[in-house]
Amino acid sequence: MSVWSTLSDSSFLEMLDTVLSKCDASYCCCGCCAALRPRYKRLVDNIFPVNPEDGLVRSNMDKLTFYSMSSPEKLDRIGEYLAQRVSRDIYRHRNPMVIIAMEAMDQLLLACHAQSLNLFVESFLKTVQKLLETTEPALQILASQSFVKFANIEEDTPSYHRRYDFFVSKFASLCHSNHPEVDVLNSLRLAGLRGIQGVVRKTVSDDLVENIWEPVHMDKIVPSLLYNMQHARPRRISNDGNNPNGHPEEQTDSENGARNIDPSSLAENCLRELVGRASFGNIRSVIKPVFKHLDLHELWVPNDFAIYTFRVIMYSIQVQYSYAVVENLMMHLDTSSRSRAKVRTSMANVLAKIISIAAGESVGPSVLEIVNSLLKHLKQSIMSAIPIDDAEAIIDEKQFQESLISALAEFAYHLPDYQKIEIMMFIIGRTPVAGEFDPNNVPAETLLQHMLLKCLLKVSYKYQSTNFSTSLPLTFLDPLLRTSLGQDAYVRVLVQEILHCLLDRHENRLKLKKPCIDICGLNLVFDKCSRADSLFYKNHGSRILVNLSESLDLTNVTRENIEAIYCTAALVCVELATDEMLVDILRWALAVQDVALTNTMLHPTNRLSLHVVALSIFILASHTMNVATLIEYSAQVVAARTGKAPLLLRFHEGAAEELQQDGILAECLLDFNTIADCMKEAGKDIMGMIPLQGPFNANQRYSWADSSLHQPSSFTDLSNINLDGAESNTSSPGVTRRYAEEEVTFEALKKVLAEPAESRREAEYEKRQIICEKFRNTPFQQLVASSSKGDVLNDTLNQILTRISIMPCQPELTAVQPNNQSLPLYGNNFPDLFVY
Amino acid sequence: MEDYKYLFKVVLIGNAGVGKTCLVRRFTQGIFPPGQGATIGVDFMIKTVDIDGLKIKLQIWDTAGQERFRSITQSYYRSAHALILVYDVSAQPTFDCLPVWLREVEEYASPKVLRVLVGNKVDRDDREIPPAVGEAFSRMNNMYFIETSAKDCSNVDKLFQEIARELIQTMRNQRQETSQARQPGTIARTPIPMTGPLVNMRQLTLMAPPKSPGQNPTAASLDPPVL
Repeated sequence: MSVWSTLSDSSFLEMLDTVLSKCDASYCCCGCCAALRPRYKRLVDNIFPVNPEDGLVRSNMDKLTFYSMSSPEKLDRIGEYLAQRVSRDIYRHRNPMVIIAMEAMDQLLLACHAQSLNLFVESFLKTVQKLLETTEPALQILASQSFVKFANIEEDTPSYHRRYDFFVSKFASLCHSNHPEVDVLNSLRLAGLRGIQGVVRKTVSDDLVENIWEPVHMDKIVPSLLYNMQHARPRRISNDGNNPNGHPEEQTDSENGARNIDPSSLAENCLRELVGRASFGNIRSVIKPVFKHLDLHELWVPNDFAIYTFRVIMYSIQVQYSYAVVENLMMHLDTSSRSRAKVRTSMANVLAKIISIAAGESVGPSVLEIVNSLLKHLKQSIMSAIPIDDAEAIIDEKQFQESLISALAEFAYHLPDYQKIEIMMFIIGRTPVAGEFDPNNVPAETLLQHMLLKCLLKVSYKYQSTNFSTSLPLTFLDPLLRTSLGQDAYVRVLVQEILHCLLDRHENRLKLKKPCIDICGLNLVFDKCSRADSLFYKNHGSRILVNLSESLDLTNVTRENIEAIYCTAALVCVELATDEMLVDILRWALAVQDVALTNTMLHPTNRLSLHVVALSIFILASHTMNVATLIEYSAQVVAARTGKAPLLLRFHEGAAEELQQDGILAECLLDFNTIADCMKEAGKDIMGMIPLQGPFNANQRYSWADSSLHQPSSFTDLSNINLDGAESNTSSPGVTRRYAEEEVTFEALKKVLAEPAESRREAEYEKRQIICEKFRNTPFQQLVASSSKGDVLNDTLNQILTRISIMPCQPELTAVQPNNQSLPLYGNNFPDLFVY
Repeated sequence: MEDYKYLFKVVLIGNAGVGKTCLVRRFTQGIFPPGQGATIGVDFMIKTVDIDGLKIKLQIWDTAGQERFRSITQSYYRSAHALILVYDVSAQPTFDCLPVWLREVEEYASPKVLRVLVGNKVDRDDREIPPAVGEAFSRMNNMYFIETSAKDCSNVDKLFQEIARELIQTMRNQRQETSQARQPGTIARTPIPMTGPLVNMRQLTLMAPPKSPGQNPTAASLDPPVL
C-alpha cells in the first residue's frame, strides 16, 4: 500500500494528503489528489512504482526528465524533493525505494545541462552523504556509484562552498572496511576506492574547488590506496616487479566489470591516476604518506611491496618530475638514518631500482645533488662507529654501502655519457687522497677511498668511451694518475681498472686481462686512431705510460697490479695506435724489462712477470702497428724463450727461484739495437728511439720524465724531449756544440730540402749515441768533474741575477726574453733545456 | 531540509583493544558485539542525539588502535570537534600510553578540540587503574574524565551527550563572541585566557546565559573541570 504522499512536509498538503490517503485505491487517489500538488512533485511521485520490486517507472521518468530539461529552473526543487524522499525512505529502511530514487537522480544529473545543475547537485550530494551515513553496505555502494557518476560530469560553474572532506573521510574509511563477508568486504572497498577516484577526478581539474592535495586529504587517500594494494595476491606484485612497464592490464570500468576487479588493482589504478595528475608542488604531499605508510606497516624489509609501489609511482608520474621522487626518497633516507641498517639497505635498494627511471629526466644540478646525497650517505655509513663485536651490524652496514653504490651505478648508467664524466669528476673530487687522510680516522678514510673508487669503477663500467679528450679530461686524469701511485696496492688496482673501462672502446679489456704472446688468438678489435685521439696521445699518452712504469716500480707491487698495468698499457697500445705511441710503447717495454733486470727489491716472481709483460706488450705493439720486421723479431725472441727460458713466456706461480736474473740469455731478452734496426728497416720514424736504459728508473727519471709531467705542453711529448735532450749538448760533457751546422742561411735551408733526410738523421743519431756512450762509459767522478764547468754558468747567472735584482723586473722573465744588453753574458752557454 | 541543528565530529583514539569500537557500537546501535575484531583503518558511525530539544548529529570516527594504522588515523584528528581518548581500566599499559597519545593530539589535532579521557571496562573485576588516578591524569592535562563500560552500558550515553552539550555551549559562545565583536562601539572585550581548551570552556560556560539545574540535570555529572 502506498502511503508516501502522506509524508509531505508542507503542512497544507500534508493535511490534504492525510485525507486523501484514507482512500484505499491509492493509485487512483494519487491521481486525483495529484492535481492539487505542484507539477514537479506530481512528476516525481509518479516515477515510483506501487510495488517497489517493479523498479523505476520508465515512462514517467522520461516525463520527469523532459520536464526538468524544458524548465531547468525547477530542477533544484525537484532535487530537493527527491532528497527529502530519500532521507525519509532511508529512515524507514525502504531500501528499494531509495535505490529507485537514486536512479532517478542519476538520470536527471546526466540528462540535464551543466549550467542548470548547480543547485540540484547540492541536493544530490546531500543524498549521497545520507546514503553513506547508513550502516547498510548496499546503500553505501549505491552512494559511491552515484558519486562516481557525478564526478564524471563536467560542471561549468565553480562551487566555492562545496566541501568534499566528508566524502574523502568516508571513502577512505570504506577502503578499510572489514566486513565479515568477503564479497561484501570487497565491494565495499571497491566502492571506497571508486569514490576516492571520483573525488580526485572532480577536484584536481578545478582550481576553484577544494584542494585535494592538502595533506589532510592525501594522508587519508594515499594510505587507503596502499592498504588495498598491499593486500594484492603476492603473485601480482612479483609479476609487476618483473615487468616494470606493466601498466594495468584492463582499464577498469567503474560501473561494469565490478565482479572481476579486485580492490588491489583498482587501488593501483587510482594511485597511477593520482600520481599522474600531481604537479611538481604536490609530489611531496603524495609521497610523504607513502613513506609513512611503508614505515608504519614495516614494508621496507622485505621490500617487494616498496619496490612495486615506487615503480607504480615512477611510471605514472609526469616524467619531468620523476627525479623529485628520488629526491624525496633520499630525504626519507636522511630522516631514517637512525633506523636499522636492514631498513636503510632496503630503501637504498628501492632507490637503485627506481633511480634509473628518473635518470633520463635529470638535468644539471639535480644530478649532482642526487650523487652528492648518495655519497653523503655512504660517507656517513662508513664513518658511523659500529661496535666491532657486533658482526651482524657490520654485515648489514656493509650491505647498505653496497646497495648505495649500486644505486649510484644504476643512476649513472642511465645518464648520458657527458654527465657520467661529470659524475666521475665529482666523485674523484670527493675521494680522500692517501697521505691527506685525517690521522684520527685512517681506517675509515681508507675504506671511504675504496668505496668511492668502487663507485667510480661502477660508473666508468657503464661509460662508453668515444673520444678520449672528453672521457679523460686533464682535471680527471690528473687525480686519477696521482691516486694510481698510492701506497695501497688495492687502490692502485682499482684505478687501473677504472682506466681500463675508460680506455677500452672495443670491448678488448677482457682479452687483454693477462699478458699473452699469442696476440692473433685474441681476436682483438681495433680502429684507426682518429686525429683527436692522436692529439690526446700527444698531450697525455706519455704521462700515462710514465705513470704506469712508475707504479710498476713500487715496492709492494702485486700480481694483480702487474696484470692491471699490463692491461692498461695494452689498451693504450690498441686504442691509440699511432707511430708516436709505437715508439713510446717499445721504449716502455724495454724499460719494463730493465726494471725486471735491475730492480732487486722486487719479488723474483714479479720480476719474471715483468719480463712476460715486456714481451707481450712488444708483440702486441708490433702487431697493432703491423710492422713486419718487429713481428719477425718478436717471433725470434719467443722462439728463444721457448727453448731456453720457458718461464719468461707466461705467468707462473712460485717458480721464481729457479731462474737467476743474470742467467737469462741475451737472445731471450729484447734488444734495443735490434729493435731500432727493425724500425729503421720498416721505415719507421725512430726519432725517439734512443736507448735510454731504464729511463723510467727512479734514478734517471728526473732527467726528463718529470719535466714532461709538469709541463703538459706540446713540447713535452717524448720524442721532442729526447731530441732536445740530445741536442742540449752544452750541458753534456765532452761534446761541443755544433751550431755551425745549423746556420740559417738560404743555402743551408736549401741544403736541408735537397739533402736526403736519412743522412741527417744518421748524423743526429750518431751524435746522440756519442752523448749516451759518454754518459754510460765515463766514470762518475769524471762526469762530475767535466760538468763542473756548470759553475761558470752559475757564476754568470749569479752575476745577472744580482744585476737584475736592482730592477723591478722578475729575473726569470728577463732571462727568457731576448735582452740585448745581457745577451752576450748568457746567450752562449745557456742550455736549451733550461729555456723550456 | 535540515534534520539537525549542529553537526559535530567526534574521534575516538586509544590503544588497541581498549574498547573504542564497542563504545561506539553500544552508543549508536545499542549492542555489545562480543569478539569484536580489531578495527582496520577508520570506522564511521552516525547518531543523532537530542540535547535540550536540539537535534545534534554526531559523526563518530572510530579509529584503529594499532600502530600500523597511525598514518591514516592521525589524518582524522584535525577536523575533529571532540577527541575521546580511551584507556582500559584493567590494563595498566593502555594507561601508560596516554602521554604518547596526548603528544599526538597536540601535534595533529586542532588546539581548540574538546578532549575527553575515558576509562573503559569498569565492569571488570580486575581493575588496575583506580578512578582517582585517571581523574588526576585528566586534571593534569585539562581533560574531561569519565569512566564507562560498553558492556553494561554505564555512562556510555552520558559520555556522548555531555560531549554534545559542551560542544553546543562552545558553539554558542563562539557565536556570541563574534556577534559582540561585530557590534560597533563595543569597548574592548576582555580577552579570554587561552591556556587550554578546558579553561576556555569553563569561562565560556560562565558567560553563557544561566541555566536552571532542573533543565540540565546531568551538567555536573561529568567531572568538574579544574582550573
